[in-house]
Amino acid sequence: MTTPAGQTQFDRVVMSIAEPLEEALETELLGYGEVVPQAGLLGDSAGRCLLWFDGGVPVSAHHTGTGRSDSEALADIAATGPYRVRLVAIDDPEELQDGSLAPGAPAEQVLGDPDLASRTRAKADADEQTAEDEDLDAVEAFLADEDKIEAIQKRAAMEARQRAEEWDLAVED
Amino acid sequence: MVEAIAVASGKGGTGKTTATLALGMALAEHHDVTVIDTDTGMANLLFHAGLADVPTTLQDLLQEESSLPVTEAVYHRFGMDIVPCGTSLEAFQDADPSRLQAVIADLAEQTDVLLLDSPATLGSRDAVLPIVIADRIVLVVQPTIPAITDGLKVQEYATAYGTGVAGLIFNKVHDPEEVSRISERAGEYVDGPVLGTVPADEAAREARKAGAPLLAHAPDSEAGQAFTEVAEAIDVAPAPAEGVADRFRNAVIPDGP
Repeated sequence: MTTPAGQTQFDRVVMSIAEPLEEALETELLGYGEVVPQAGLLGDSAGRCLLWFDGGVPVSAHHTGTGRSDSEALADIAATGPYRVRLVAIDDPEELQDGSLAPGAPAEQVLGDPDLASRTRAKADADEQTAEDEDLDAVEAFLADEDKIEAIQKRAAMEARQRAEEWDLAVED
Repeated sequence: MVEAIAVASGKGGTGKTTATLALGMALAEHHDVTVIDTDTGMANLLFHAGLADVPTTLQDLLQEESSLPVTEAVYHRFGMDIVPCGTSLEAFQDADPSRLQAVIADLAEQTDVLLLDSPATLGSRDAVLPIVIADRIVLVVQPTIPAITDGLKVQEYATAYGTGVAGLIFNKVHDPEEVSRISERAGEYVDGPVLGTVPADEAAREARKAGAPLLAHAPDSEAGQAFTEVAEAIDVAPAPAEGVADRFRNAVIPDGP
């Protein structure tokens, strides 16, 4: 997987991802952290986990070895430290990979650190409040654009049926 | 007679677990309610319901070799039955989520309303299973474009599986009055009604910290009252439990020989 261009702001081997998560939160990182577990350092091609941050808050994760995402990708790196972690602030915000990772998930799931998880969630909530205030006009405009919504719905309906076929799930005719 | 309702969002951090337990407690005033944490990858209902230290969870029931009776993982708390999911990574890796169907079919025979706290993603077969096996979904979204977009996506997935939509909740809303101007418009795209708008409320976080559902910890809080009203707007439609079991069997195409 190619990663977007940016500035490396942290690059070291750590026993746990506590320090890079704190660093990302403190610097409100917009970018990603590349987490390479010990096995990877030793030359085993076990893969790496890319953890994306928006304003220092984790938003998605993807594991290149297992191909799994979000909390499953986190499960793939839990208890596999030490890690080499590189935090990169990306140049183009458009390249941020959003996902459905809960903000406190890395701190809670990989570190078992409820305090960091709680601070991360608080930051996410604060960002949300600002975003909501700014965005309501945008939401209104978005909802007024029936063609756009119809396109989203059609695409999702098609994707749902394709996935259902891949996953052997029965669909309605 | 039972109705299975999946509480879904498509995006993390929308307060889905708080909503699930609040709806569960409110619906338990009039129905037998069982709440199940089907978010096996990111289980957190146990922390919200003071069940962090219980010996047996859904994870144990999903182990391939498990012969435990389902009742071992059912805890009667706050007027409802709760089936938490554990957070052990080893158990997560050994769990077979396809066993969920059988577990839910068993639980369906003993309750009126099954509330499934669903994973906040559509990224894998296991994650969509609760939506597949539910009769209807309740969408929990925040009033932002990405959250609404994800909510609409979840609705399309549900529709594809023949799962209905009980309605949409705007949750963790910072300015409910402002949001009222978009809720009608949003409702036009939802197959069910907009059930209500729940304000962002510190009481929800405090309840989570205290390990109690919002309606137990702060029933008179703004969010607590809003959830009570939302639950009243949900018209529970139980169907014979055998039908649910059939539906579960038909939803997942068995592996070929």
